[in-house]
Amino acid sequence: MNLLDIGPDALATTQPAFFRFRAIGDKVLLTNLEGRWVVLDDEQFGLFARGEVEEGTPLHELLSRENFLRETFDEAKAAEMIRARRTFLDAGPNLHVLVVTLRCNTTCVYCHASRANMDQVQTDMTPEIAEKAVDLILQTTSDYVTIEFQGGEPLVNFPVVQHAIEYALEKNKSIGKQLEFTMVSNFALMTEEKLDYLLDKRVQLCTSIDGPADLHDAVRKLPRADGSAHAHAVKWTKRINARYREMALEETLYHVEALVTVTRDLLHRERELVDTYSQLGCRALFLRPLDPFGFADKTAHLIEYPREDYLEFYRRTVDYIIEQNKQGVEILERYAAIFLTKILNGEDPNFLDVRQPGGAGIGQLAYSYDGQVFTCDEGRMLDAMGDSSFLLGDVWKSSYRDIVGHETVRAVVIAGQLDAHPDCVNCAFNPYCGIPPVHSHKIQGSIWGRKRESSLCHVHKGILDYLFEKLAEADPETLEVLRRWTTTRSRDHFLHQVTVGAV
Amino acid sequence: MAYPEPPISMKQSNDLPKDAASFRGVPDVLAHADLTESSAELLLDSALYSLEAVYGASFTFIDRCFVFLDKTPEGQFRVTLAAKKPGATQEQLRDFVGEFSNELLACAWREKITAQNRGAIEAVTMQALAGAMGPPSLDDLEDFDFSEEPFEDPLGIAMSWEEKYGKDKAKRKEGEPSEGDDEAAAASAKDGA
Repeated sequence: MNLLDIGPDALATTQPAFFRFRAIGDKVLLTNLEGRWVVLDDEQFGLFARGEVEEGTPLHELLSRENFLRETFDEAKAAEMIRARRTFLDAGPNLHVLVVTLRCNTTCVYCHASRANMDQVQTDMTPEIAEKAVDLILQTTSDYVTIEFQGGEPLVNFPVVQHAIEYALEKNKSIGKQLEFTMVSNFALMTEEKLDYLLDKRVQLCTSIDGPADLHDAVRKLPRADGSAHAHAVKWTKRINARYREMALEETLYHVEALVTVTRDLLHRERELVDTYSQLGCRALFLRPLDPFGFADKTAHLIEYPREDYLEFYRRTVDYIIEQNKQGVEILERYAAIFLTKILNGEDPNFLDVRQPGGAGIGQLAYSYDGQVFTCDEGRMLDAMGDSSFLLGDVWKSSYRDIVGHETVRAVVIAGQLDAHPDCVNCAFNPYCGIPPVHSHKIQGSIWGRKRESSLCHVHKGILDYLFEKLAEADPETLEVLRRWTTTRSRDHFLHQVTVGAV
Repeated sequence: MAYPEPPISMKQSNDLPKDAASFRGVPDVLAHADLTESSAELLLDSALYSLEAVYGASFTFIDRCFVFLDKTPEGQFRVTLAAKKPGATQEQLRDFVGEFSNELLACAWREKITAQNRGAIEAVTMQALAGAMGPPSLDDLEDFDFSEEPFEDPLGIAMSWEEKYGKDKAKRKEGEPSEGDDEAAAASAKDGA
């Protein structure tokens, strides 16, 4: 792309409708307000910018169809797509993180959760607090409610997990939410008895797999007597996936969800990482870079890396994943799937950290072990680091409306809109992006932040550059793989559906 | 040939303290360091930056610095960033100045953008909060303050015409005009009543 080729005249104001642009390789990506996009070569872009696209040409037809021309601009079509991208605004928090304890049997070098030692029983949530939290949760205006058990390690306080589930199921009989439970666990304290209960209550299980065994055990340490953290995670992942098969649940849909936190030593081991996940039967890999919360802030000198290195790793890894898909291995990269759903389907998959406004307070809430309520789990993590900026109230005194209508929620909703941000307002990726204000607050000292200097903005731009390069290359096999990643099928087995009033 | 008047900030170059140190890459006339005081001073053209932008940028420094704001006789903003930890090096002070300048630019531009996009931002915010909060319940309404006197009104600005001028009527003797009646009569005449 060479902008000088456009010519000496000013940008035409009669033919092009509102657009943003960005160089993608030797092409130019154009996006419009509602998030439609086209990729043009220099000559086509020059014609468009000068307002010289002739009617009846394929270029005119393309630009008209995608709503880039003033003369054929379809306002209703634009409004419909903008609405489709914002449907999540109609309802309140659907994700509710219950931190049932800070105690954890594992020590992770990047621990974002600010774990406590196993003897710190005062960091266990009580059954009473769990009930109060559920009372608040079921007041959400969202019809869909996911209660996510986190820690610490939630299996450490398993009786309260059970109590919360039983209480929520009973209480929901008269309320009728579409209720779902998930648990994020390292599985080291899993037993057949606990698993029976969790499967019986249809709790979706998630774990962390940070790469091959040596790397996983280097960053996620169990006390020596308890063996390898990797071995526990692998053993129970296989066991749970086998139980799903025994229950005749479709393998492609029902399996343990595993997450990876990318640390420095993983950056050159992408193939081993993907193979580890494939062999475990995992169908998704989420290449999450390190967050600046919790212990990761202190251990950065050991595990952090320049985001350029991460993006190179990302490209190599997703290239390999695409190759694997072409050979029949079904596995996707989650970041790519989130962005592609927005790009190719024109809808928002409601991933709370990559949407605008973000999910803090209006899409999710986090309930700490002591009953304090935060905009999000990251807000709770910051509180553990001594910064209570994202505290909204507590389960005893605060009403639901006090919490979601809190000044802090209003502030993060405003700061979470990219049309209020320098740089983002002109960025071609604006319709697909989102940066959580809590991240900007942590790394730049204000919920607004400066995106040009934000490591997360850098990551998002790098990933979107890669994806649009793939879309511009238009290799049919690759496109088919990428399109498949945007197909979402609901996992109804995990839903507890209640018809209020049914006998 | 007449040369244009130099910017106000250029006129300050002779006013620098004797022991002021300059920063690499930063014009002397805009910022300098006082190493003995672990502080940096910036002079900002108030035609370029609004007070709101200066406040916004300053506030992001209160965890690291004591921030002092004042104005020069020429109308510039003078910002002094005094490191909370003593013994700040020139490079650390340079970082403060650079960070402050970037944050100030972001605040200034954001102020313009949010004004331009205010309609869209407000619409999304309102929908997000209304969607999350939902309609008030009966309990919420019960807690709502419906009292007739929500605030003090010593001048009677919020009173109705009848309340304000009707009180005297009861007190005064029949046929004796009151001050209120005069005003009311004048108002009626103006309206053509």
